[in-house]
Amino acid sequence: MNRRAFLSWGTVGVVALCSGVLVSFGAVLRFLMPSVFYEPPQSFKIGNAGDFPFGPPTFLVEEKIFVFRDRDKGFAVASAVCTHLGCTVAHFASDQKFHCPCHGSVFGADGSVQHGPAPRALNWFEVTQARDGQLRVDKDKIVPPTYRLMV
Amino acid sequence: MHLIRDIWQSIVRRDPLSTDKGKSELVFLNVWLHIHPAKVKKENLKFRHTFYLGFITFFLFLILVTTGIALMCYYRPFPPQAYQDMKDLQFVVFMGPFLRNMHRWAAHGMVVCVFLHMCRVFYTGSYKKPRQFNWVVGVFLLLLTLGLSFTGYLLPWDQLAYWAITVGTNIGSYAPFIGGQLRELLLGGHSVGEAALIRFYVLHVAVLPAAVILLTIVHFWRVRKDGGLSRPVWKLKPQKAEALVTIGAPATTAALQATAASSTKTYGLMEVVTGKPIFETVTPEEEEDTVFSYPYAFVREAVALMATVTTIMTMSLFLNAPLEELANPAKTPNPAKAPWYFLGLQELVSHSALLGGVVAPALMVIALLAIPYLDRNPSRRPGDRKWALWLFTFFVIANLALIVLGTFFRGPGWALVPPWVHVVGGAE
Repeated sequence: MNRRAFLSWGTVGVVALCSGVLVSFGAVLRFLMPSVFYEPPQSFKIGNAGDFPFGPPTFLVEEKIFVFRDRDKGFAVASAVCTHLGCTVAHFASDQKFHCPCHGSVFGADGSVQHGPAPRALNWFEVTQARDGQLRVDKDKIVPPTYRLMV
Repeated sequence: MHLIRDIWQSIVRRDPLSTDKGKSELVFLNVWLHIHPAKVKKENLKFRHTFYLGFITFFLFLILVTTGIALMCYYRPFPPQAYQDMKDLQFVVFMGPFLRNMHRWAAHGMVVCVFLHMCRVFYTGSYKKPRQFNWVVGVFLLLLTLGLSFTGYLLPWDQLAYWAITVGTNIGSYAPFIGGQLRELLLGGHSVGEAALIRFYVLHVAVLPAAVILLTIVHFWRVRKDGGLSRPVWKLKPQKAEALVTIGAPATTAALQATAASSTKTYGLMEVVTGKPIFETVTPEEEEDTVFSYPYAFVREAVALMATVTTIMTMSLFLNAPLEELANPAKTPNPAKAPWYFLGLQELVSHSALLGGVVAPALMVIALLAIPYLDRNPSRRPGDRKWALWLFTFFVIANLALIVLGTFFRGPGWALVPPWVHVVGGAE
């Protein structure tokens, strides 16, 4: 092997080695990203329609959702997670609005931002009736605030 | 007796400390002490030059490592056991509260001292040539200190921890393009849960401390290699400031005068090269003004160490680290506040998450890193750098004002509430 060939092949080898190292960095990043999330499912049943009263919304603690039931319009489910930084908002019966305790964001009855730093309106989730009659909420399906389920 | 003497001398191989040679050997034959110079400038020992803030920060870090390892013996990073272990540390473990208090107050102290140290270095202009890079290392150490505080904040798994980290990691998710994935990577999930706790634990006890240790080594090394501590500002003479600094100056081409080796001397030198040194050099008259590190510098360091440990211990006797109720993802405390040193950030975030939480801090860090390269003024004398001093003072005051505002003037719902007004119950 002459000098030129040695240097050429050497360069190829060094480049290959460096690429290999770069790829393995990517693999480390991928390693750190979990393949399975042991988290509550995004779609779940919340119980029968009759479990929910008319009037002020029912707050489901684990799921962080508000379940509204209106005599004429039916069911709607709003997220209780503030769109600003993820604090749990509270629904005040006094003014029919959602108030976030962290940075003072206020959301109107339809979830729209009325005050504070929140960048987006609260999410409304699709609520359907499962085959067994229970209500099913799917957090992956965002619906407009006018969405209602009549049962 | 000979045996004991032999053993001792095999460990400590130096002349008696009564001799100058012994004093020098104590420093450069000892792996732990050799980061010091054998002799130091008298003026650099003055408390009012550095306030020993770098040393105090380092000592606080040592306290944190020691108490942290002790706390690790009782802590399991898994909810809800993590909180249970905190309760055990609080009520069952002998000296548990004391050690936890020490860990907490040393952590707060380290944040304070790193910041003050940075201010001192800025106000004395010690980031200037040839010390620019060490300032950059220092900024990274500041960021690592904040990172250690942030990751440690989650570990108690109480309400305070849970919501501070929920808010904190959501701020990160506002970063453009990578924000969401970055948060997922940090939390190992989509919300703060058990995966997040173990990740924060790994960062807090392994990754970040290792990074701090590595950078601290570089930081200390560069202090020495850049010419030791910078001269006190009051010692600077107008013409000297620039004349003393020679960076990468072209080597003198004149060949060295060969001298015959003396039979009465011993030589340990490996190579003789020509050229000027890249660090700040000392003139012969300044050399006169030096003292041996032993005992002058070491005694001062020991006093600073004792004072630091005593202060933290005294605080830990009387001030208890808070522990709130078990983390409850359903109930956000009102107001939910981050640790005090992040309250300035939270105050910014309360106005705009993207601008206040990502853009402003990112610009601030970039500005800090760029300071030594943007500031082309070679003079370190305060009179010559009024603009720099005013700008930095504005930066410091703005940060402190935001922190004070967030800490004392924000009530339920982040409403503006002066500290002398007591809110009963709050909005429900």
